[in-house]
Amino acid sequence: MLYSMKDLVAIMPELIITAFAFVILLIDLWLPKKSKGLNGVLALLGVAIAFGVTVSMYGTNMTAFRGMVVMDNASNFAGIIMLLTTFAAIILSLDFLKREDMNVGEYYEILLFSLVAMMVLASTYNLIVMFIAVETLSIGMYVLTGFLRDKDESVEGAMKYFILGSFASTFLVLGIGLMYGLFGTVDLTIIKGGLANADSLHKWASILAFLFIFVGFGFKIAAFPFHSWTPDVYAAAPTPMSAFMSVAPKVASFLALLRFLVVGMSPIEVEWTKILWVVAVFTMTFGNTVALFQKDLKRLLGYSSIAHAGYMLVGIVATNQLGYGAVMFYLFGYMFMNLGAFAIAEFISTKQDRGTEIASLRGMGYRYPLMGAAMLLFMFCLAGVPPTVGFVGKYYLFSAAVKSHLYLLAVIGVLNSAVSAYFYLNVIVTMYMKGEPENAQPVFNSFPLKVVVLLGAVGVIYVGIFPSTFLDLALHSIGF
Amino acid sequence: MNQLHFPILSLITFIPLMGAFFVALINEKNENLIKWFTFIILVIDFIVSLPLFFYFDPTTYHMQFVERVPWIKSLGFEYHVGVDGISLFLVLLTTFLTPLAQLSTWSAIDKKVKLFNIVILLMQTGMLGVFISIDMFLFYVFWEVQLIPMYLMIGIWGGPNRVFATMKFFLYTFAGSVFMMIAIMALYFLNHHFTGTYTSDMVKLMATPLPAHLQMWLFLAFFIAFAIKVPMWPFHTWLPWAHVEAPTAGSVILAGILLKMGTYGFLRFNLPMFPDMTHAFALLVIILSIIGIFYGAFVAMVQPDIKKLVAYSSVSHLGYSMLGMFALTQVGLEGSILQMLNHGISTGALFLIVGIIYERRHTRLISEYGGLASLIPVFSVFFMIFTLSSIAVPGTNGFVGEFMILLGAFLAKPIYGIIVAFGGLFSAIYMLTMYKRVVFLKVTNPKNLELKDMNKREWAYMLPLLLFVFWIGLYPNTFLSKMRVSVEHLLQQTNRSVKVIDKTQEAQLIKTVVVKKG
Repeated sequence: MLYSMKDLVAIMPELIITAFAFVILLIDLWLPKKSKGLNGVLALLGVAIAFGVTVSMYGTNMTAFRGMVVMDNASNFAGIIMLLTTFAAIILSLDFLKREDMNVGEYYEILLFSLVAMMVLASTYNLIVMFIAVETLSIGMYVLTGFLRDKDESVEGAMKYFILGSFASTFLVLGIGLMYGLFGTVDLTIIKGGLANADSLHKWASILAFLFIFVGFGFKIAAFPFHSWTPDVYAAAPTPMSAFMSVAPKVASFLALLRFLVVGMSPIEVEWTKILWVVAVFTMTFGNTVALFQKDLKRLLGYSSIAHAGYMLVGIVATNQLGYGAVMFYLFGYMFMNLGAFAIAEFISTKQDRGTEIASLRGMGYRYPLMGAAMLLFMFCLAGVPPTVGFVGKYYLFSAAVKSHLYLLAVIGVLNSAVSAYFYLNVIVTMYMKGEPENAQPVFNSFPLKVVVLLGAVGVIYVGIFPSTFLDLALHSIGF
Repeated sequence: MNQLHFPILSLITFIPLMGAFFVALINEKNENLIKWFTFIILVIDFIVSLPLFFYFDPTTYHMQFVERVPWIKSLGFEYHVGVDGISLFLVLLTTFLTPLAQLSTWSAIDKKVKLFNIVILLMQTGMLGVFISIDMFLFYVFWEVQLIPMYLMIGIWGGPNRVFATMKFFLYTFAGSVFMMIAIMALYFLNHHFTGTYTSDMVKLMATPLPAHLQMWLFLAFFIAFAIKVPMWPFHTWLPWAHVEAPTAGSVILAGILLKMGTYGFLRFNLPMFPDMTHAFALLVIILSIIGIFYGAFVAMVQPDIKKLVAYSSVSHLGYSMLGMFALTQVGLEGSILQMLNHGISTGALFLIVGIIYERRHTRLISEYGGLASLIPVFSVFFMIFTLSSIAVPGTNGFVGEFMILLGAFLAKPIYGIIVAFGGLFSAIYMLTMYKRVVFLKVTNPKNLELKDMNKREWAYMLPLLLFVFWIGLYPNTFLSKMRVSVEHLLQQTNRSVKVIDKTQEAQLIKTVVVKKG
């Protein structure tokens, strides 16, 4: 037998999602054009069931397929975040696709397939499996970025993403090849042992391999200097997909990066922390500095997501359990704030005018008091002001750095968050303090969208004030 | 210890939050209901806070009315609140001043009334939280939370330059406080290293032994956060902007309560936690305070705008408070706390006075007025009393505070007292000149002939302030007696020496951290 029943249980959520993707693929053929909405509902159902299964599997630790797939608390927690994100992204897409007259089943299938890839990426110690997962999810993301194919900039963004992404994958596979050549295996748990006993030549060669692999992951998490695609792609992609892309692939990539660094590369911890220290500082500072000059909300969120990747790298550089847990917790919180903010970006763009200029938020705080208040919360949350989850998350990340006596890094981090307050607050200024425009722009009035905004706002506040449960989950999820 | 066996502090803090929730449900067209409802909530909040005063036990320095609930268990953060002789009057000042400030906005704020009242209520919760927190994490959360409502208040209802002013206010304060966040984390982990438990209880953190150089950095991290808030010279540049642009109620709350958070922070953290550094930096702080006293006074002298003048006088008055504090004498410290209250009352009242004439004439330029005494006599009398209280004339509250500070400074080093005594002279010059040009002389501007004197609502919010001007001025013992023991204890703590760990122990510390990581 190549695999047993037990192996299939370990990848149950992935199987469910795959099954639903195939069902949509089939049903879509017979669905008349006006009832294409059913695709979305099916996708929601699949994600919901997979979510239930994932939650019920919490606490089970198993490996499957001869160690190629692990199902542990970390992959479970990451799975929860990704499934929630996908759920929200599908809700955001429901009316959006109808409006754009693009309501086709492929959209949801590709979304679900890349979700499966992400979940696999989050649950393996095997470099080859990681590579396959990264490739699968990337192809899905390329297609979804250019999904509005009649729109030039959408296609342009997809092309940019594709070319740069392929380039980054090349480095990834090169690094994996080098690792295999050095240690004769692609399993990180075995590489760790080999690396611990390696002579200095092997050690230096493996640092080179580490760098190559880091290029691949750095591209996915949008770390400096592999970040340049982020704002373009976020701006070009359909907004629900920008929301999805800014969270789910990052969750998977961060967890894979954690597994790679903390387990596989632990013998060369001293070296990689130095490199990541520099990368984290540049990522934060670059993202925040460039974001200061953005006029478009989606591009602003793109640069802000670079900065946030930098904050999370601080948690990794801290190299303690608190730091790793903080990264997971931050990703959880980041989901609420980013989904909410992107949902607002969708709210202010219409079919006629797809633009998401910050200026068009003017007076929104008064015209749409609830949406405005929610956006205010998201902005304060991204800036890291209590009582939001953004503050709690940053507090844990930086306190992990302080715990490891990385005072300078923590100070650079908090100064960055002070700088970032400027551009986030500028959005609030536009909404509340510039008066109301003479002819207010129309908005995209979609009920599902409002639900996502509301849930995001509730999450931001609730987890911000009562982080205990979620923090414990995040801390316990780190068992390596 | 909680003598009432009743969560009174939480009640005081969260009544406004609840109120804000209900205000949000009222139709925004119904402005009268919103104003009344908010006012009543704030008055109830004040009444509920009164038992703090009557049941306060002045014989102990321990925290009173304590409530303690685990919050984030895995990290040892707690919802832990209480008051002692230092924070008691700041809590009462807050509950006392905010309803008055709200009352002053009934006719001054005519747009987005609902949002304005929600913002005031949220601000009340944030400010009270700062003064009652014993847990440092909780303190920091409240410290930052209250920035949001103030940011909105200046930015939405402020003057023409409101956006610049409010951004400057927010970014300045935010940037300063992030250093404090790092310092809190460092204390937290050091404490864990020595005691083995994670806690952010500030009383326990005070006993943490500290590496010598780290003690300095921690002191400076707290210092920068609080110095910006006070604000001390040269960190004061956000203050005139914020004050001038803020609506009247915003200025009152800003001057009356928010700035006190800075001085309170010094008393609560810098002095007892880093006593060695307090002594080491005392001279520097005193010099900065003296510069602040004179700088504020000199700049105030040349202001053409009454509100800006009062704003700069704040810099000067809080310089006194800081000076009294870092003189590190019992009488100086008591004077310093009293000065905080006095400044809240007198400066708050002066901003209200400015608000009253601004509402009638829409200008704050001194040159636009003149001869008001004959036109609006009641107003002029109120104005005079608060002016005199601001320049510390005997019989008013200002005198007691400043005199105690002078005494404290003189006891510390006579030269401080001598220098600062001149500061009083200058404050008389700028306040009286301004008063003369606005209220006396001849009526030069025909527009002023139409002015109406104070109405009932304005009486209602000025009278309580007047009462306290004379109460503190004539019988300060009501207040001093309650803070005495706490201040004595604070002074003791400031005179102890923190157990300093040396280089070898420090190397050990870093080593254990590295080992634990691996």
